[in-house]
Amino acid sequence: MKRINTVEELESRRDTLLQEQDSDTLTVTLCGGTGCRASGADPVMDALQQQLKEKGLQDRVSVQVTGCHGFCEQGPIMVIDPENTLYCQVTENDVPEIVEKTIENGEKVDRLLYRDPVSDEMIEKEADIPFYKAQDRVLLGDNRRLTPGNIDDYIANGGYAALGQVLNRMTPEEVIGEIKNADLRGRGGGGFPAARKWETCRDTPSAHKYVICNADEGDPGAYMDRSILEGNPHAVIEGMIIGAYAVGAQYGYIYVRKEYPLAVSHTEQAVKQAREAGVLGENILGSGFSFDVEIARGAGAFVCGESTALMASVEGKVGEPRPKDVHTVEAGLWNCPTTLNNVETWVNVPHIMNKGANWFASKGNESSKGTKIFALTGQVKNTGLVEVDMGTSLNDIIYKIGGGPHNGARIKAVQTGGPSGGCLPENKFDLPVDFDALTEAGSMVGSGGMVVLDENTCMVDVAKYFLNFLQEESCGKCVPCRVGIGRMLEILTDITEGNGKPEDLDVLEQLAWTISETSLCALGKTAPNPVVSTLMYFREEYEKHIRDHQCSAGVCRNLVEYRIDPDRCTGCGACLKACPHGAVEGEKKQVHTIKQDLCEKCGICKNVCKFDAISVQ
Amino acid sequence: MEKRVNITIDGVHIRAPEHTSVLDTAIEFGICIPHLCHYPGVPDIGACRLCIVENVVRGKPRVTTSCTLKVREGMEIHTNTDRIQQLRKNVAEMLVAEAPNSKAVQDVAVRCGVTDVPYKFHNEECVLCGRCVRVCNDVWQAKALGFVGRGRDRHVAFPFEKKPDFCKHCESCVDLCPMNRTPCPGPMKKGEEFVCGQCESQLSMAEDVDDSCVWCRLGDGFGCTRKVQAQ
Ligand SMILES: Cc1cc2nc3c(=O)[nH]c(=O)nc-3n(C[C@H](O)[C@H](O)[C@H](O)COP(=O)(O)O)c2cc1C
Ligand code: SF4
Ligand code: SF4
Ligand code: FES
Repeated sequence: MKRINTVEELESRRDTLLQEQDSDTLTVTLCGGTGCRASGADPVMDALQQQLKEKGLQDRVSVQVTGCHGFCEQGPIMVIDPENTLYCQVTENDVPEIVEKTIENGEKVDRLLYRDPVSDEMIEKEADIPFYKAQDRVLLGDNRRLTPGNIDDYIANGGYAALGQVLNRMTPEEVIGEIKNADLRGRGGGGFPAARKWETCRDTPSAHKYVICNADEGDPGAYMDRSILEGNPHAVIEGMIIGAYAVGAQYGYIYVRKEYPLAVSHTEQAVKQAREAGVLGENILGSGFSFDVEIARGAGAFVCGESTALMASVEGKVGEPRPKDVHTVEAGLWNCPTTLNNVETWVNVPHIMNKGANWFASKGNESSKGTKIFALTGQVKNTGLVEVDMGTSLNDIIYKIGGGPHNGARIKAVQTGGPSGGCLPENKFDLPVDFDALTEAGSMVGSGGMVVLDENTCMVDVAKYFLNFLQEESCGKCVPCRVGIGRMLEILTDITEGNGKPEDLDVLEQLAWTISETSLCALGKTAPNPVVSTLMYFREEYEKHIRDHQCSAGVCRNLVEYRIDPDRCTGCGACLKACPHGAVEGEKKQVHTIKQDLCEKCGICKNVCKFDAISVQ
Repeated sequence: MEKRVNITIDGVHIRAPEHTSVLDTAIEFGICIPHLCHYPGVPDIGACRLCIVENVVRGKPRVTTSCTLKVREGMEIHTNTDRIQQLRKNVAEMLVAEAPNSKAVQDVAVRCGVTDVPYKFHNEECVLCGRCVRVCNDVWQAKALGFVGRGRDRHVAFPFEKKPDFCKHCESCVDLCPMNRTPCPGPMKKGEEFVCGQCESQLSMAEDVDDSCVWCRLGDGFGCTRKVQAQ
């Protein structure tokens, strides 16, 4: 690749690349995100290439494999442009038909079209799918358009224009001013204003400064950072170079967990290409500004996402948090001023520089600007990565994008913010999703996890699940976090097993307060959230467990009984045969019963009964 | 001459030597802040959280550990507010329930006002204060001991679970351990633990600072040796 020596050369390179593109050619875009690959995108790709070759269509059709589109649940996803036809759950066996019908003859393959689970209608165009329609896909939209790590593709799409403009025309102070006007807040969990970090880092005198991109992403179920880094690593790099210019850093790290091999390899490729092209390394675009990045691979501990633990880990030490009385923007990596931002924070930077602070600030609400990506999961019809303007209501996300309840059961809560987030009840669903509103309500935006829970979920059990995760992931250094979470977990276990005591809730509250006030790092400080928020909104569930030994959701095994409804039982004997514990008795064609002392509450009987005669009480 | 900074601890003006911790300064000036993982001369990590104080930053009191907090010009510290007393008691409760057989822990818990614990005792052999690990690694540079595992699995171990050749046999780890420093003559059996606290203070407190003791108000919330003896 030829080195680009000036901003002008970059622009003429972009013009050349754009001229080479022909918007009339048929383009087949295949999502190559981790989700679609797991559901079989690779064989589809191979089959497609082969078919096109056999039919001599390689030159007429351009094939692109991109990063994650966010609709992983329906993967592998294929979009055929310019018609914008979306096919979902495509297998290699579908490929010949797609080539023959759609590519050669412009017809649709109906069975591969998306069927909207809400209206049960078939939808032809990607743009008409409700899941996408209600989103504002600023960042994920790029994923859909780009070949990951390919710098020409990125440049053709407007890449590194922001960098060029910054280096050519802006002082570092002006860059920080723009970020400040945009009111960009950190996407990694805290929502801390990025400009304030950058400013302090810039103002702290030091010969060496660093910028770091936090791609540790240890929350179970979260994959927004992974998807961006996999799908659009150049944008992250561009954001970091601009940030480095603003704060005066010469060196940067991208801290990626090693369980993200695709993200690592795409980022490595992008770094290499960016260096060769002269947008990274010595004398960037001839501006005299030099900056380089290195990829640091994290060992995959959740706590290593915490800023001080992450920096210790980059330094090659044990990834444990240290007290933050001196902030890392003043004394971070190797005791030098360090600006750490999340992947999604960095990737917003080129957009802000290109389109202006006002454009960014026009999205969102008073408290939080721009868009935010959420990983929507749980009991809704559509799950996946969704990007919405900040301030969109929970209702819109859950019902408009998520399509409402998955299997008819009533939705009762949403858990937001990852493991140390909180649960909000249905009557809070009109809340705008912004940093402040969710925190005020007892939860948080966090890194963007969003799990929808329906009436078959026990809230005590949910709190226990997250606490268990946090206990395992706590570094174990300090007493309140290590011992305190363990004690809370003991109490929750007692409650879910029917051994709860009335005073337990007071002890839980004392523990929660102590842990959040006295823990060393934010993992401990926020760890009681799942308990505090469920106690705040679902206290009666706790009380029911303790007082009546009842779990209304039928989840806590010690508190439920499986019973056979004599009116429905036909005596088919399916449950008797299936029960691995010999707890079902009854003669053929007679009503069966369950011996409670033998029942292990595995639920197998209920699953095999064809007459819906077995219930949990 | 050593540079000093002006700070106040519980309203007392102190000219503290620069680069020292708030805990060291407080002890130096006779203000006793309870602590367990801190040991004089060994780098602090803030593990036990007993030494918490309120540090007033821009008008807001923030709870933080004094052993890891370096003095800064103009700092305002409160060691003994109601909130701190309650939090410290709660932390001490957690600690004594983990390790009732440590005289040091029993002692500190009773002084922090713990009379009973609201959970089952665990009777562990180590409170993970890290004194041994730090004296071995940071003071003697022997690196023969370390923490292994995280969360519930965290424990102190030799590298590869075997005492290494490079152990200097200084026994500092044993000497500093709050679990066996003056072992309890009547250790509690599993299932029979209680909050005892009958033993004398095991912690370096005002006993070393006869001349400078100001009979701080802390003694009211935290039964310091001198206050107890004086009564
Ligand atoms: C236990 C713990 C885990 C964290 N994990 C992550 C993470 O995986 N990714 C991330 O960006 N921030 C994570 N954070 C937040 C970081 O400490 C830090 O605030 C963030 O990376 C700053 O970037 P931002 O201002 O752009 O959000 C974590 C914090 C804690 C306490
Ligand atoms: S709060 Fe938890 S994760 Fe953080 S330092 Fe303490 S033990 Fe480690
Ligand atoms: S062995 Fe003793 S000194 Fe070492 S961490 Fe455990 S309690 Fe502390
Ligand atoms: S003495 Fe400060 S945390 Fe233990």
